[in-house]
Amino acid sequence: RVSSDGKPPKFQPPPKPVIIDRKTQKEERRFLSPEFIPPRGRTAPLKYYIERKDMIQRRKVLNIPEFYVGHVLAVTTADPFASDKSKRFVGICIQRGGKGLGATFVLRNVIEEQGVEICYELYSPRIQAIEVLKLEKRLDENLTYLRDALPEYSTFDVNMRPVPRMAHEEIPVNKLQVRMKPKPWSKRWERPKYNIKGIKFELPEHKMKAAQKWSQPWLEFDMLREYDTSKIEAKIRKELSEELEK
Amino acid sequence: MRLSVAAAISHGRVYRRLGLSPRSRLDLLRNLVTALVRHERIETPWARADEMRGYAERLIDYAKRGDKDERAMRMADFWLTEKDLIHKLFKVLAPRFQPHPGSYTRMLQIPNRDGLDRAKMAVIELKGNALPPLVRPRRDSDKTLLNQLLKGYRQDAQRAAAA
Repeated sequence: RVSSDGKPPKFQPPPKPVIIDRKTQKEERRFLSPEFIPPRGRTAPLKYYIERKDMIQRRKVLNIPEFYVGHVLAVTTADPFASDKSKRFVGICIQRGGKGLGATFVLRNVIEEQGVEICYELYSPRIQAIEVLKLEKRLDENLTYLRDALPEYSTFDVNMRPVPRMAHEEIPVNKLQVRMKPKPWSKRWERPKYNIKGIKFELPEHKMKAAQKWSQPWLEFDMLREYDTSKIEAKIRKELSEELEK
Repeated sequence: MRLSVAAAISHGRVYRRLGLSPRSRLDLLRNLVTALVRHERIETPWARADEMRGYAERLIDYAKRGDKDERAMRMADFWLTEKDLIHKLFKVLAPRFQPHPGSYTRMLQIPNRDGLDRAKMAVIELKGNALPPLVRPRRDSDKTLLNQLLKGYRQDAQRAAAA
């Protein structure tokens, strides 16, 4: 440093560090897997507590990523009859069911023009890896109607590359409206009981109107059917974060 | 050969079957809730009062959210058939029960109905209403042995303190 006037150069303090508090931002948006939330019933909470401990143990060993219905997953399971003792299946998650250790998810794919659905248990010791290939939510919680949709909507390439996630932000919702095969379907998806928004119904008007006969408009006002899980969820979230940090 | 029992088992069902259909059950309970909000104390068959209690308390929980809340207003609109009671619910009942966390109703059984059916009746009321109380709290009578002994002990203590 060249000193002018023979004096030492003026001390320039370093720029102040900008603290971006990512931890608090992340806390707000933590995902709680639905199988942790106990169902409403007369079972003792001890059962769910014990199950949760086992689930956390398993999660420490195997990384179960955050996924919703509509994501495309690749699951590697152990298979004694395969040549390298493991089997890989890629498919779209149709539904997630069960609570506790018996939580399952069903993956669907169409392989060589044959639709295949496999129901995996999340906490089964046979599962070796779960990778999320494509992240996108759909308009419904249950995509079982893909069985009656045209096969192109359920085909996914087995050697698909994982689509990189943009940033740790919202999961995009795919507002795709699926076209169906001609009727008869396995279930009458046009009925309001299923409340499906992701199908492009090409049925005539009178059929859609006739389906509305089965609507139960009083059900939304039946207050005792609501299950408010906010407090339970908060407790379980705290428990999970404590356990997983150990 | 019958392998399964065709018995009337309803494991874990929480809702009673009232009226002609599920819609009719909700309509029945809706009328009762409206009557409760209007008169604050009603006499009905016990089963109906029991079903109605849960709905009435949840309605007050919704009302506590305030009348700006869209969902609360829709619920109140559905559950109260007489629309002047919506104002009463949000402006009178919600502030009255604001300090309480829950249990806004009291249900007591009554002698059976006088008609042919001799139905089990109950009276259900909102707490804090302006009507005379249903149960008069009785104080212990002074003439029981224990109370007499306690009275004597208190008098002895007073005399010892005065002396």
